[in-house]
Amino acid sequence: MTGWHADDETLRRYVERIDSVAEGASVEQHLLSCAQCRARVNTAATAVDPVVVDLAAVWNRTRDAVEVPRPSVSERLLRAAGLPAHEARLVAVASAFRGVWLVGVAAVLAFAALAAAVGHARGLWFFLAVAPLAPCLVVAFSYDRRWDPALEPEMVTPYPALRLVLLRTIAVLALALPAVLLFGLVVPGQAPFAWLLPAIGFVAVVLAASTWVSPLNAAMAVSAAWLMTVWLVATRSASPAAVLQARSQVAFLVLAAASFGIFLVRRRHLRQLRPWR
Amino acid sequence: MTASISLRGAGRTFGATRALADVDLDLEPGVIGLLGPNGAGKTTLLRLLATALPPTQGEIRVLGRDPEVPAERTGIRRRLGYLPQEVGFPRGFTAFAFVDYIALLKEWTEPAARHAEVRRALDQVGLSDVATKRIRAMSGGQRRRVALAQALLGSPPVLILDEPTSGVDPEQRVTLRTVLAEIARTSIVVLSTHQTEDVAALCERVIVLDRGQVRYDGQVTELVRQAAGRVWLADQPDPAATVSWRTGTGRYRNVAAHARDGVEHVEPSLEDAYLLLRGELPDSQPAKEVAS
Repeated sequence: MTGWHADDETLRRYVERIDSVAEGASVEQHLLSCAQCRARVNTAATAVDPVVVDLAAVWNRTRDAVEVPRPSVSERLLRAAGLPAHEARLVAVASAFRGVWLVGVAAVLAFAALAAAVGHARGLWFFLAVAPLAPCLVVAFSYDRRWDPALEPEMVTPYPALRLVLLRTIAVLALALPAVLLFGLVVPGQAPFAWLLPAIGFVAVVLAASTWVSPLNAAMAVSAAWLMTVWLVATRSASPAAVLQARSQVAFLVLAAASFGIFLVRRRHLRQLRPWR
Repeated sequence: MTASISLRGAGRTFGATRALADVDLDLEPGVIGLLGPNGAGKTTLLRLLATALPPTQGEIRVLGRDPEVPAERTGIRRRLGYLPQEVGFPRGFTAFAFVDYIALLKEWTEPAARHAEVRRALDQVGLSDVATKRIRAMSGGQRRRVALAQALLGSPPVLILDEPTSGVDPEQRVTLRTVLAEIARTSIVVLSTHQTEDVAALCERVIVLDRGQVRYDGQVTELVRQAAGRVWLADQPDPAATVSWRTGTGRYRNVAAHARDGVEHVEPSLEDAYLLLRGELPDSQPAKEVAS
């Protein structure tokens, strides 16, 4: 027992944990042997700014650190692109963003682009058949009930279904279109942007058709129709360029605009719980 | 004004199949149990109430709002918790992540408040210890409780629960009953179940559905009272009984449509009363002897 006692300022600094390590250790040693100062610590602890000793808040932050899942790569990309945190999460949850599908689509595209780049005519046809379909398939996978099994609780929430669908579609396009464009650059003899309009047109068709049938069925139908068209053109004409000439580009633009119009007109059919069943 | 739900001549058909017909109901705060065999229309009725499905006839008002009008439907959804019969979980999600995702869709945009609410809901269903566990690695009962937790977000005034206790172990069932009874003091809780003991333990009011129609709507005690004098024990299955089965003691429990004298009567349970009601329904022929 010493005759020395910690002054108020020292105790306050100790309670608020703004003292140095050495100072804190020394006060702690003293407190162990001095009941009088221990009592004063209690008083000091209740007097300090409640923010410092808001244990509940500290505990919540600790649990957040443990429980809140870390944002995925795609979620961080979306946030970096300027989407608010909660919307980035809503978009990134779609199964199409779980990585596997994007990697698969990119692999097929890369393969097709490679085949086309080595100059084989069939490779070019292959790329022509596959590239415009990739974005609409990814969009379809991001909503289909089989791939988004939580749909029923999701759809009875107040969050507008139309907004969710459009957000996810735009996000899919933002990721898939650059891929199509990038691989298009490798393909000889074609303007890389020539693939864009068919790709956007097919996404719009899938959106419009999904007010009647499941998006995956819509995407399958679109794919079948497109593959059939490419095959027909391939049997009659020697050059794949015919499919991407200016006249057909206009047709794809019209297709995209008309389909998106139908989608907006029929958006009420997204209203009930299982919009695609 | 007390919270209420009303249905007037509500019905739903799927193609040529009539799943629900001419339902008139008024629901007030409390726990309301829905009983009925498979295919009776329980899930269809719950989905109508949850704005998951539009009715093909009649009208529905939930808290005075019309689900047919988009703005009012959103208003209902802001005050609604819904547990569907089957809930799929996105791959790789933890319990916390899933409930947090639904909370986002329920417009909890402020992270700190949302996380606190997710924790409260998980705590309510007894899952706070496994909040970081992946749902795919959970038991059936735990998954059911994760699904229930999302319905409890925001303590909604209307709670629609399709078989909340299926796959949940007895101890957790008791805990869930306590939670639901507490919520039902101010909220309308409508639940469907195959467990008559859940209804007996929890509900004041029971609605029995059969082939899309309401066959009984009233107090649980009143339904049980109807079976008084019509349930007895005997050494043999009684030919006069509507249903009879061998109990654990080796004796047969007989439930008959008509009261019978000179036999060893026992206190009827809700299950007896329910079986009796089912037996009385026209065109339905329950098995003479059911497995116990």
